[in-house]
Amino acid sequence: MVSPAIALAFLPLLLTLIIRYRYYFVLFYRAVLVRIWRDCVTGLSREERAFQYVLTHATPGDPDSILDAFDIWCSKVEYISNIGPKKGKILDRLLMEQSPLTVLELGAHCGYSTVRIARALPLGARLYSVEMDQKNAAIAEKVIRLAGFDDDTVELIVNPSDEVIPQLRSDYGLEKLDFVFMDHWKKCYAPDLQMLEGSGLLGKGTMIVADNVLFPGAPKFLRHIRRSGLYEWKVHRATLEYSTGIRDGMAELVYQGTN
Amino acid sequence: MPRSNLITSENDIEIGLDLAGDEEEEEEEVSTLQEEQRRERQRGRRRDGDRERKKRKNDRSRETSTAGEGEEEEEKRERGRRRREKSDRETEGRERNTEGNGRGKSGKTEKTRKNIKNEKTRKMEAEEEEEAGERKTKKKKREERTKEREREEEEEKPKLTEKKKKKKKKKKKKVETSSEQESSEEEENQEEDKEEEKEVRPESLTPEELEKLKEAVDEKKKLIQGLRGKPWPMKKKLLTLRESQEFVEKYEGALGKGKGRKLYAYKVMMTKKWMKFQRDFENFKTACIPWEMKIKEIESHFGSSVASYFLFLRWMYGINMILFGLTFGLVMVPEALMGRPYGSIPRKTVPRAEETSAMDFAVLWDFGGYAQYSVLFYGYYNNQRAIGWLKFRMPLSYFLVGVGTVAYSYMVVIRTMARNANESGVGDDNSFNFSWKMFTSWDYLIGNTETADNKFASITTSFKEAILEEQESRKDDNIHLTRFLRVLANFLVLCCLAGSGYLIYFVVRRSQKFALDGLENHTWWERNEVNMVMSLLGMFCPMLFDVISTLENYHPRVALQWQLGRIFALFLGNLYTFIIALMDEINLKREEEKIVKFNITMWEASLHNATESENSTAATVTIIQPADVPRGPCWETMVGQEFVRLIISDTMTTYITLLIGDFLRAVLVRFLNYCWCWDLEAGFPSYSEFDVSGNVLGLIFNQGMIWMGAFYAPCLPALNVLRLHVSMYLQCWAVMCCNVPQERVFKASGSNNFYMAMLLVILFLSTLPAIYTIVTIPPSFDCGPFSGKKRMFDVIQETLESDFPAWFGKVFSYASNPGLVLPFILLMVLAIYYLQSTSKSYKEANVELKKKLQTQNEENKKKNKRAALKAQMDLEEARKAAIKTPEHQKNNNASVKVPEDGDEQHRGSQRQNNCRNGRNLPPPRHQEQPPPNTRAPVSRSYHYGNQGPPGYLPGHPRHSEPRMCRAPNLQRH
Repeated sequence: MVSPAIALAFLPLLLTLIIRYRYYFVLFYRAVLVRIWRDCVTGLSREERAFQYVLTHATPGDPDSILDAFDIWCSKVEYISNIGPKKGKILDRLLMEQSPLTVLELGAHCGYSTVRIARALPLGARLYSVEMDQKNAAIAEKVIRLAGFDDDTVELIVNPSDEVIPQLRSDYGLEKLDFVFMDHWKKCYAPDLQMLEGSGLLGKGTMIVADNVLFPGAPKFLRHIRRSGLYEWKVHRATLEYSTGIRDGMAELVYQGTN
Repeated sequence: MPRSNLITSENDIEIGLDLAGDEEEEEEEVSTLQEEQRRERQRGRRRDGDRERKKRKNDRSRETSTAGEGEEEEEKRERGRRRREKSDRETEGRERNTEGNGRGKSGKTEKTRKNIKNEKTRKMEAEEEEEAGERKTKKKKREERTKEREREEEEEKPKLTEKKKKKKKKKKKKVETSSEQESSEEEENQEEDKEEEKEVRPESLTPEELEKLKEAVDEKKKLIQGLRGKPWPMKKKLLTLRESQEFVEKYEGALGKGKGRKLYAYKVMMTKKWMKFQRDFENFKTACIPWEMKIKEIESHFGSSVASYFLFLRWMYGINMILFGLTFGLVMVPEALMGRPYGSIPRKTVPRAEETSAMDFAVLWDFGGYAQYSVLFYGYYNNQRAIGWLKFRMPLSYFLVGVGTVAYSYMVVIRTMARNANESGVGDDNSFNFSWKMFTSWDYLIGNTETADNKFASITTSFKEAILEEQESRKDDNIHLTRFLRVLANFLVLCCLAGSGYLIYFVVRRSQKFALDGLENHTWWERNEVNMVMSLLGMFCPMLFDVISTLENYHPRVALQWQLGRIFALFLGNLYTFIIALMDEINLKREEEKIVKFNITMWEASLHNATESENSTAATVTIIQPADVPRGPCWETMVGQEFVRLIISDTMTTYITLLIGDFLRAVLVRFLNYCWCWDLEAGFPSYSEFDVSGNVLGLIFNQGMIWMGAFYAPCLPALNVLRLHVSMYLQCWAVMCCNVPQERVFKASGSNNFYMAMLLVILFLSTLPAIYTIVTIPPSFDCGPFSGKKRMFDVIQETLESDFPAWFGKVFSYASNPGLVLPFILLMVLAIYYLQSTSKSYKEANVELKKKLQTQNEENKKKNKRAALKAQMDLEEARKAAIKTPEHQKNNNASVKVPEDGDEQHRGSQRQNNCRNGRNLPPPRHQEQPPPNTRAPVSRSYHYGNQGPPGYLPGHPRHSEPRMCRAPNLQRH
């Protein structure tokens, strides 16, 4: 049918695509193929495997070593989209500058970012961490306890974020949030932000940090903050966690109030 | 009052002019309904609109000037009010009248009605003037009366909305101003008014006043001229410019005297009109340049590099138009009009075997069938020496046009290159890298914020890179790795080139096999394999090169040049592989031709024998249809067809890539972004950027193919013109609608000549095979204008022998004697060498001069520094001295001032000082002076100067000054 010569002429295109998007292919391999294979072989979920590794390789009670163990596992063994060490440093810096007393984290996943935030908080501060998935939340709980943070510092709420946010004021007696970190479903960024605005928990100077706004990307979220005019914002450009070639960004918003 | 009068006089003339026009129009409106007149009227309206604006301006000024007038005006105003009311009513009536007339008219008048409403005030004045001129007809009077009644009724209606009221108020105001002027002139004829004014005006202004005004105007003019050089912020400049222009405009008319003034006003008006006309003409000229506005728009959005592509495209279009004109006008049209018609001889007829499918679309699309046997291709032309009643030398014309197109192209390309070289000979030295970057990197034609952001980012990155480069040039640690990577990249590219070359060669050979088998047995894919493969490789390989070039880590500009060079090599390799394969095919055809020639002689002989044996001589020979005559494979037509097909497939690929790669992608990205799990716009597919280098190269190679194939297919320039025309629109649209500005916006000024150089190389390389085939391969025996000759260029010799006198041939043969040609060439080489060496020496001199300038600059700087230091020292000394004797200076000041105040001789110039003194204002200027410093003497001389008005005191604003001073003057006169 189609002659082989014409098919051969497409070879350069194929090569180009492979070379240009090699990072995406590598990511696909590590995040999807390896995961499926390992799931079949071990019978454990990805988060459980990560926890096992951390348990065997980290010092209990030492957040730094737990984070290091996570980083090594994510970059060498398998892939979990934590915030990662590079963007984590930016997050640490923002937390140090801000030194917030009430922090809300949406999307704890397996506790990496929770530990990261809790580590950088001042004395007496409280972190509310929201996780939707039961299994992940169980692991996150273990990781948090392993790192040595008790219930007073970190409170893990197992519920979808859109259910938790309206109840924050009534159930948890919150008046104002100083810092919000978003790393859950990218589609939920925009509605959750609007919900936060509506709940009145955001005060002047509240900082909101959202991870992965460029890849996988949250275009609606960006559009919203651009249009609403409620925020002073910028995007920290970085690469995707545990990968070098994929560009990603972390949005930093400071709530300015309605006026 | 005097000044206002002065201004209005100019207006009067204009109003008068207006009136003439207005009345005409109005009459037309009433009397006729014809379209032409309506159009005329509209034109007139527009004209009047301008005047109207001017008038309003003047009205305003009049208003302001009359604001402070005395009681005597009251009377006149009363009279004016009465008149105004009357005129108001009149105009209302008039308007309704015109509207009533217009109701029956077409939509055109509907549009003009807005205009009518806008110019109410103008009409009012018109009415008044009409009245003054006593040109009212009885009919109008009747109308007036009826309308008056109507209007009164209307006024009683309390339903008027606020807006309407406001409008009316405005109207009244305007009428007020205009009627005031009227009232001052009394209810006389216009002519009388003017004369009266002439008498009044000189009285209103003293000669001193006039002189002062003149001076002020001159000063303002000077200011306007020298404004550009002033070290002010732009805002201030603009403000001053506007102010002084207004001033000049306002008072310029006042300067003429008596009769000359009318002329002067006329002159001013004419110069203004002339300037406006010139501006319009310039606009018109720009509008006449094809696609100029489009390109400008693109330039503002995407920067000059993208625009340079479109400029190049336009230039190419122009050249192709000329090529097209040559081939179309001198080859195709004469053949179509005067040559033998289709079907008269074998070469102009579709062979019997192909006749059934000759009109099929598939065949025509491949330029077979009827398309092949038409003026579009070489084979159709007859070798008859002269055709038609003009005795047009067709073969000669064909040959000369073929040569002429190439010669013309060479000439144009080289001339353009030379011109560009002159323009861009300055900025290529690397001695001031950072300051060049600092001061020249902005692209001032960018008008889009996004592009501006990109440009900003690219400038910052270029700075960063330049700094890094500077640093790296000092340490250079990992040079081996970079070198290795570069070598590797080049190796990969070479592999790619070789692979693509081999693929094309393979495909062409295969297609020859198919052709021998007969094309009907193969699928469409196999038949179009060559073109498809060439287009696809040309499209995809540059992408691969681009990816590979990231290995090399070059500066973007260098990387771009490498990229261009590689794509160039690829295209050239592909083209030449194609040509080599074509040569093989030509040789095959010629083999075939020999056999066919032999067969034909056999066939003719047999035919001859048959006729002889049958003994019926001429009848049977004529019976043979031209379609049945066996004929050779015309290799020239084959070559032409190949090129035409190549061009067509290339064009199609370009357009399809544009539609799929740009448009479809943009649509998908835009609309899938609402429901996709990652950000398509900022992330992976994104919108495409405009690929300048690829597009330019595509254009250049396309042109190369045209030059190569135009000799064998005269339709090629026409096709190319069509293609360029379409691609101009398509690409303009595609760029504006689906591309985003490049991330690295770079200026294109330097790359223009690069394109030209490439074009020249391609021109040379593409004429090479064409000339080779023309010179070495004998033309086919039974098709084309040169059939029957040994070589194609024999046609010139033939013409020389038969069409020119014998002596001319002799001269030509002497001139073409190698003994004469060789010395001539030698002389040319020597001349070139000489010119080149002189230009080199000039260049060196230039460099020397540059160096000299630089050193001189440095010296100057040093000198200036020294001078500045010295001046500073002096200043300080002077300051010290001044502090020591402040009181002494004060006394000095006072002593100077006192006698001058009493001086009567300087009355004219010192009037303002006097005036202030007369009003018992204390003139303690010298006491208010800032603590004495070095500038004290300067401020003292201020009092002597009679040019500018002296400084105004805080409590007494500027505008009250002149009038207070003028009052005694007026009395004196």
